[in-house]
Order: sequence, then structure tokens, then C-alpha cells
Amino acid sequence: MKVFRELWGSLFRKPHPAILRNREIFQDFDQSLPLSHYDFVVFDTELTGLNKRKDEIVSIGAVRIRNLHIELSSSFYELIRPVTLESTDSTLIHRITPDQLRNARPPEEVLPDFIDFCGNALLVGHFVGIDMTFLNRTCKKTLGGHILNPSVDTMRLARGYIEGRGVYSYGHTDQSISYRLEDLSSRFDLPRFKPHNALEDAMQTAYLFLFFLKKLKKGGIKTLKQLYQAGRIWRLM
Amino acid sequence: MSINDKNSVHSVSPEVVLTFLKKTIPFNELDDSTLRDIARHIIIDFFPKGTVLFKQDETEVEYLYIIQKGGMKIYLKDEEGGITLKDFRGEGAYIGALPIIQGTRANLNVETVEDTFCFLLPKKIFLDLVQSNSRITQYFLKSFSEKFIRTAYRELRHRNMVPRTEGTLFLFSAKVRDIVRREPEFIGEDRPVQEAARRMADLHIGSLLVKSADGQVAGIVTDKDLRTKIVAAGRGLDTPVRDIMASPVHTIPDSAVCFDALLTMMKQQIHHLAVEHDGEIRGIITAHDIMVLQGSSPLYLFREIVAQRRIEGLYPLSQKVPLVVRTLIEEGAKANNITRMITILNDHILDRLLTLLIDEMGPPPLPFSWLLMGSEGRKEQTFRTDQDNAIVYEDSDDPELNREAEKYFEKFGQSAIDHLENCGYPRCPGDIMASNPKWRQPFSQWQGYFDHWIDSPEPKEVLHASIFFDFRHGFGDSSMPDKLREHIIRRSERQQIYLLHMARDYLGQRVPLSFFRNFIVEKNGEHKNKLDIKHKGLTPIINFARILSLKNGIKETNTISRLHALADHGHITGELCSTACDAYELQMQMRFVHQLKQLENGVQPDNYIDPGQLSDLEKQMLKDAFAVIERLHAILKSMFPAI
Repeated sequence: MKVFRELWGSLFRKPHPAILRNREIFQDFDQSLPLSHYDFVVFDTELTGLNKRKDEIVSIGAVRIRNLHIELSSSFYELIRPVTLESTDSTLIHRITPDQLRNARPPEEVLPDFIDFCGNALLVGHFVGIDMTFLNRTCKKTLGGHILNPSVDTMRLARGYIEGRGVYSYGHTDQSISYRLEDLSSRFDLPRFKPHNALEDAMQTAYLFLFFLKKLKKGGIKTLKQLYQAGRIWRLM
Repeated sequence: MSINDKNSVHSVSPEVVLTFLKKTIPFNELDDSTLRDIARHIIIDFFPKGTVLFKQDETEVEYLYIIQKGGMKIYLKDEEGGITLKDFRGEGAYIGALPIIQGTRANLNVETVEDTFCFLLPKKIFLDLVQSNSRITQYFLKSFSEKFIRTAYRELRHRNMVPRTEGTLFLFSAKVRDIVRREPEFIGEDRPVQEAARRMADLHIGSLLVKSADGQVAGIVTDKDLRTKIVAAGRGLDTPVRDIMASPVHTIPDSAVCFDALLTMMKQQIHHLAVEHDGEIRGIITAHDIMVLQGSSPLYLFREIVAQRRIEGLYPLSQKVPLVVRTLIEEGAKANNITRMITILNDHILDRLLTLLIDEMGPPPLPFSWLLMGSEGRKEQTFRTDQDNAIVYEDSDDPELNREAEKYFEKFGQSAIDHLENCGYPRCPGDIMASNPKWRQPFSQWQGYFDHWIDSPEPKEVLHASIFFDFRHGFGDSSMPDKLREHIIRRSERQQIYLLHMARDYLGQRVPLSFFRNFIVEKNGEHKNKLDIKHKGLTPIINFARILSLKNGIKETNTISRLHALADHGHITGELCSTACDAYELQMQMRFVHQLKQLENGVQPDNYIDPGQLSDLEKQMLKDAFAVIERLHAILKSMFPAI
């Protein structure tokens, strides 16, 4: 019965105002502007596990990139109370205790804040597909709709960057290269952040993204569309 | 952590940023909440290698750039497009502070030399911080005072004919260990000199360290020794090295900067120094090694001075001292280093001048010492310091000899003063000079003078005598000045009333801040509304250091050295010592800049600074320095409660 009510609700309930605002923003989204005209929100989620059907988001960390630089004044970090509070294998990784989660707000309160925080920004993440899947699944369930922000995957950017430099043959992916966030950060000698905290990981990803943005910009890629056309790196949801 | 307040939700700063700021000078001085507040406003940017961040005289600087990772080079471009490298900045260093504080455009060019991540602190936040937090203020004021001087000379640089090279930076930044080229080579002390010469020729080196039988380093032998002590002297090639070596070997720690090595060589009149680390000699450096780095330098002037064979030849050389000093200031030398350099150059000119004068007049009938007083005695000369000097000579029972000495030193004193004046050292308006018979006396008479000043019930006399208490030996026989100093220390132990007179008078001088913390400036005359930085700002610190040193039997005459000695012996706290030294150096620096500007404009240098011409920040700096004087006065008051 409970399952039915949820399903009913998600199908016919009027979506949350934050979702409606989001839809309006992305109704006609212009891709032809210079890169510096776009806001990017680099984000990361910590999850109870990787099972798309039953695992949940327990924290979101995000930082904004505006004018092609990271603005610490505009960052976001919050814990989210999952339905299942018991600790899982992931608890050991992200070290958020069930007690902390018990005091957190539920997703239907946190996510509208996050959606408003993102505004018209493009979302950036490392292996962003996973984060987007969990984010939109939770949005759909609790707010009655998806968010429409296009997303950028720094993992794909990394592949494009490394392959584009001609070291590796086009289209062929060298299996020996690790595309984990930590490994890429040390490969490009970036400042390091503490892993497995959503905000710190978001920062680490933001550094990586900034690195690519500026390096590619030097290579003549100036607009979002150019970037989109240049690489197999974009994924518009 | 669950924060419902939206504002704080959107302003969490990652720990890494906080941790970084916590170990970055001067932000490490801030408390946690201020630091978090700062971190919230930070912008992070990435600049690939080769990005030009600042263009000299063009870029409006909107942020303080703190380097998180990477590196930058800072350089100047002259009209012909020539590039002079000024500095490299790495992690934890920052750029942009000076233009923000001064409200000017970028004063230099900055370009990343590596992929660089920076924390950008917006201009407004940075200025607020500088104005509201006194420790941050002090930090930037201090580094600012050094940089400020460089900026003041930017104009000058454009007209400067002296080519500027990357090498000039080295004097203050390169460590001695950076210029050691090879391991030291040794020879046994009983080996013949010919073997030493052969080894030096084979190895293409100019010196060997000499080892004694027990393996200790006993001395050094150089090619000059072989030339002068063997070949020129016609001695045998089998002479043991021991007989011609210089001993002991002068050493310098490997962490010393080349500037210090240069000073040591000039002071000791030597050309080789052994570089030491943990008691072990790692190599030898020569004056030549440093000169190669330095290009046109104080050392060249020094050599010219020493090489003069005629007194008249010295006249133009002393005029070059301001030129050398200007270079030092442009390179960012601290005021204390600059005065030390001026002192050494002036001492050498004096030494050469009096040596040549004695050659001319024949040897003196009695041993004597040329005494230096006042700022020369304290080794705190700036440009064109007035002459303050005197002669003390040995007592003799022979009236004939005494008469002869009187006659000799009269002529000697008079000629020396004339020559010094020709060299550009103005006469002392108070006539405290060796040409004045009153200040050209045998030892017993000098002892009598000091006894009189120390025992004097007459406060005025004590005051007139204060500059005499800063005397030091300048030329001749140094044993008499030493004896005189010992005598004063012993007498001061018993009799301190004169110090009370001094203290009372100093305390009568008001700190140049009014009750409302505005400046007290001259009310009348030519320098109306100007601040006499020497008498109002520097003299109180000099006086404080003098009184406490005399009271506590400290022999030093230099103000900074006195303050350090006082702190070392526990008479003042280390904190007070460094605060007072900072205040002193800061004002010295301002005075240098002021005087250099005047010299450049062909105006006779003076000590009058117009507060109206100072930026808010400079005023703030001066006020902080004056606040120290209030503290020094309070200490004197508690020390001499009778006042």
C-alpha cells in the first residue's frame, strides 16, 4: 500500500516549486556563450552504497565556479537523513555516524536548497553519472521531478585531455591509466584534499576541473559549445 | 553537522584551506573565527605555467594572491625592453599586497613559472583585515616598509644608468653554501711550500687548508702567501707550509647570506673564508666568488678605497657611498644592514685617510686613538653624517714629549678634519671634533672628563655629554678606548645620578602623538607642520638603549646591539626588544627614503617628514612605532622613580 501511494504521488503530485523553477531556467539553455559566462557547481555525494535501487545519499558537498574560479563564499555542505539509518560498509569510508544522520534533515528539505543553490549552473562531478543518478532518483521520489542542469564529467575531461595530447592513439583508452580522482590529482600534481568527505572531494574535483578548463582554454576552446563539440566529454541529461 | 541557517550552509570552508592559512605567515596569527571568516571570502584560481598575472603599471590589482601550489617570477621591464628578474615566489608567498595597500597599479610584472593554484583574497577584505588586526598590520607594514622603498625608487630606476642584473639579488638571498664550488683541499703543516704550490696548480685552486699533525685545521695558505712570503721574500721552496700560513682560519656558517660573508671579509681585511657546517669545514669561498655574483658592488668601492695612495684620491670616493647605498636599498636591504655597510665604508675611508696622513707627517710621538662619537660611534650613519670625533693619546711623564704630542696632534687633527670635510663629511656644528683642543687630550684628561660628567650635579652638562658616551675606537691604538669604556662601566656601578639626569630630560620630551593620537609636528619656523623623525622618533629609542646600557654595564654602542644585549642579559623582555628594534628600523628606513629622495633632487638631506605626504598606512606604521616610545618612557619612569 505504501509503495502504491509513493508511486501515485510521484506520478500525479505537482512537482516541488524548486523543480518547477529549475525547469523554467533550463527551458531554453544557450550553449554558445563564452565559458566564463557560465556558472559551474562542482559537487560530490556520499552514499550508503552503490546499489541504485536501495542505497541513499547521506551528504552533498558542492562549490561554485564563477568567472572561471572557485568561490569559497559559495559552497554547500549538508548531511541528509536516509530512510535506513543503520551503518553500512560505506560508513567506514565516509565516517558519518548513524547518530549524525539521525539529526540531519530529510532529502525533501535539503534538496530544494541544493537545487536553488545550483540555480542555472552546470553540474560538474567526477564519474558524475553515479551522482546524477542518485540525485535525480531522490528528486523524483521526494520532489516529484528531475533536475535539468546539464552535467560535465571530469573523468571524461581527463580522458579527452590525456588522449588529446597525442600521447595515446585517438579513441583508444590506455588501461594502465587510472582515472580515480586521487590518482588524477597526483598525476597533474594538484594540491590535495582529504578524500571521502563530500565537500573536500567536491573541492578536489573543482581543482581538477579548473585545471582542465584553463589548459583547454589556452588551447583555443573558448565557448561551451566548442567544448561540447570538441570532446566526447559532455553528457547532457 | 547539520546547519539550517542558509547563510552558514553556503559558506563552509574546507579544512584544507583553513589548514593552509594556519601555516601561512601572517595569517597564522589570526584566531580561528577570523580565519574562517577570511576563508569564506577566498576565491581559488588556477594559472597555467606562463600566465602573466600582473603587468607593470597596467594591471589594477583586485586581489591578494596567496600561492597554494606552484611558483611565480617577478620582474621589471625597462624602456628598452630589458628584463630584470627581481624575485621568485613559491608556496605560501603572496603577491599584490603593496599595490593594494598603496592603491596603485601593479608595480612589477608577475608571471607563473609553474602550473599555479592561488587563493585570492578580495582587495576590500584584505584592506579591512590590515586595518582591523594589529598583528597583520604590523606584518604587512614591515614588509611594506622594505618594499615601499623599492617603489619609491622606481622613478629613479628609469633614469638609472647602472645596469641592473639578476646577480644583484644574490647578495641578500644566496646562502654561502650555494656558492661553495668544491670540497676543501688539505695539506700537512710540515709539507714544503713547493708541494703546496704544485697541488694548487694541479687542482686549479687558490688556497689550501693546512692540517696540523693531530688532524686539526691549523690555518690556510693562499697563492698570495706564496707570492709575498716565499717568492718576493726569497725564501726556500722547502720552507714548511706552517711558516707562511695564516692562522687561525676565519669561518662562516654555511647558512649565512653572502652579504654577511662580504662584511666579514671587509672587516677582517681577508679574502678567503672557510664555510662551516656543524663544526666541519665544507669549502672555501673568496671575495672573488661573491663579486662574480654581485657585479658592480660595495666591494669594488671598498677596493678602490684601500688602493688609494693619495688623500685627495679619497675625496671623490666617499661621494660614491650614497650610490652604493641606493643599490642596497633598491635590493631591499634592511635599515640596519644599510647603516652597517655605510659604517664599514666610512671606517675604511677614515682608516685610509689617517694612514696616508701619518705617512705624510711621520709617526705620532705618542700612541693615540681616533674616537668616533654620536651616530658614528653607534654605527648608525646615514648620508652625510656630521663629523663627531676626538683624539685620545697616551699620558707621558716627559713634558717635552707632551709638548711635541700636543703640536703633532693639533696639526694632525686640523688636517684630518679638513680632508674629511673635502670628502663630504660636514663639520660638527657643536665643534665636537679633533680640531678642537678640548677634544684632543691625553687619556687621563678624558678619564677626568667622564668622571666629571658622571659625578656632575649639573644636569645640562650631562646632556651635552650624552653623545660622548657613545664613543668607539675609529683608528690607531684601540687599547685606550677599551680602558676608557671599562672605567666608565666601573664608575657607573657606584654613581648613577647622571643617568637620572639623562632619564629626566628624555622624559621631558613628549612622544610625538597627541592625546588624540594625531601627530605632533613642528609648530613654527621653516619646518612648520613637519615631523622631525630623528629627534622625535629615533632619539628616544637611542636614549633608552644608552641609559639602560650604561646602567647595566653593557659595552655596545649600536642601538640595535644594545637592545639585544639588554634582552640577552634579561634587563628587558625579548618582546620589548624586538618591538623596539622594529620601531627603530622602520623609522630609520623612512628616514633613508626621505633623505635619498632629497639627495636625488639636489636638496641637502634633513630629518623633516611631512605627515601630509604619508599614506594612511605609513601614518599607522609611524603611530605604532611611537606607541613603543610610550612604553619605553614608562619603563624609564619606573626605573627612576624619583622623577
